[in-house]
Amino acid sequence: MAILISFDIDGTLEVGDPPGAVTMDMVRIARAKGFLTGSCSDRPMSTQRAIWSAHGIEFDFVCYKHMLAEIKINFNADAYWHIGDRDDLDRKYAMRAGFDFLWPDEAVEMEWFRV
Amino acid sequence: MAAKNAPTSMYRNEEGLGVWEHRGKVAAVGVGHSPTARRWDERPETSVGAWSILALRRAIEDAGVPPEEVDGLVIVPVTTTGAFWPDDKPLPMDAINAFNQTDDPLDGIAKLSDEWLLKNMPELTGVKYTAYGPVCMSNALNVAAQAVGEGLTNTCLVLKAWHNLEGRYYQGGKNAANAIDGTSAMKNLWGAPACYGTALQFAEYCRKYGKTHEMMSPFMSNSRRNGLMFPEGYWSQHRPEVLNSEDYELARWIAKPANLFDNDIPIMVAAAYLFTTAERAKDMRQKPVYILSHASSETKPRSMTPTLDEVEADTVRTSRMIYEGAGIKASDLSFENMYDGFTLFHQFHIEGLGYRGIKPGEALDFYQGDISIEGPNPVSPSGGNIGSGRSRFWMHTDCIQQLQGRAGARQVTGVKPEIAVSGGPMPLGGNYTVWSATPD
Repeated sequence: MAILISFDIDGTLEVGDPPGAVTMDMVRIARAKGFLTGSCSDRPMSTQRAIWSAHGIEFDFVCYKHMLAEIKINFNADAYWHIGDRDDLDRKYAMRAGFDFLWPDEAVEMEWFRV
Repeated sequence: MAAKNAPTSMYRNEEGLGVWEHRGKVAAVGVGHSPTARRWDERPETSVGAWSILALRRAIEDAGVPPEEVDGLVIVPVTTTGAFWPDDKPLPMDAINAFNQTDDPLDGIAKLSDEWLLKNMPELTGVKYTAYGPVCMSNALNVAAQAVGEGLTNTCLVLKAWHNLEGRYYQGGKNAANAIDGTSAMKNLWGAPACYGTALQFAEYCRKYGKTHEMMSPFMSNSRRNGLMFPEGYWSQHRPEVLNSEDYELARWIAKPANLFDNDIPIMVAAAYLFTTAERAKDMRQKPVYILSHASSETKPRSMTPTLDEVEADTVRTSRMIYEGAGIKASDLSFENMYDGFTLFHQFHIEGLGYRGIKPGEALDFYQGDISIEGPNPVSPSGGNIGSGRSRFWMHTDCIQQLQGRAGARQVTGVKPEIAVSGGPMPLGGNYTVWSATPD
């Protein structure tokens, strides 16, 4: 079963401003399990790419929050999840795009991120 | 000695006043900046009051002046446009009690008074003149320049500081109240984003002149590039992120055609300058930057939001005041540092100036050429708020540093820095200063 996970950065990932609960190691574990991963943030897309590269993590996509629907069109998966910390900017756009949604503290409990 | 807003008579807001009577007789010498932060962490040493003191002390040190020689203090008492201490949130007593207090517990935390600063800067024993320049550093600079020119103060500190709190900007204060008073009832009732007025003007501008939002992209990239060479700025210190055309053009709309990056990021920061007479400046540590004039626009729009026609007419009128007072022409400008927060009105400012001969409707085409600090037509070498975060003072610091020859990696090289103009904020309602490397 193919699963795509979109990560918000600020307030969600540990490298965000403010830092969030999701560690970069968790992302690495998900990728090792074959998940499609990338980021969906208000950070400039060039910055999103730079963040992944700086941590040596490959990514399948980067996008802005209003572009989540395009990710669903461009990637074939059985499930689409977005993890973010803002109701108005993460949960709203995720719902609109037909993604399932998790808050960061919910996400870190998922089996996806366990070895 | 409690400061009040400077009287209207201190501003030059009419045409026909002639050359400023104190042209070249007032100089900026010292510059002092605090660090920057996205939001306050509620520690006393990072409060807006603490960083204001730090910026003031750095400006004094930079100028090489004994603190007791400072006899004037002009500040902006308001330290935010949209981050208000919530009524239901306990006061940060640890931070409040770390300083000598005034009657207002949020003094030094979410606002500033001259009384608070003087109570917490015991070294300022000689201050005899204080005044408030409302809203922006641009305003306070006009007041300080005029005050030094008139002899109300000889060695004057000018300060603007910004706090930013946890939570969302513009969601507190009046916007969170159940009732809205005054004209705010007409302007704010519908919850439009702050940039909507500028967005409307820009939309009309594009329609009138056949331009597009994408044509802003080179200006945005250039501004961020310049900002990343501004070591005092937020992006340079915390998130050295470039802004390329893809980054900018695909960003989500806030109030179409204003997108996320057309809005500046609220931060915490303080900056101070030391002004003095041209005569006294000769003996100070830094090269004096002389003030040729100042000008103000107090034009009121006919309705809730200025129309494009009003904006275009007023920026031209303001520029006539700028040039008249300074005794210069547009062609005398080495570079321009007009305000950019919101980005979509920067072109109104520089078209009004006629910078490099730009006429109404031509600025976005001008942006497609070389507007870098290395070229012959530098645009916003400071990088403005886009380059360094919401302060509304980067352009002033940059003008001073450029003309002193100490702008570092940001130093203009395509032109000789001799005369510059900076100011804002809005095209209708702003304050401007003309700076020069020489008094005449």
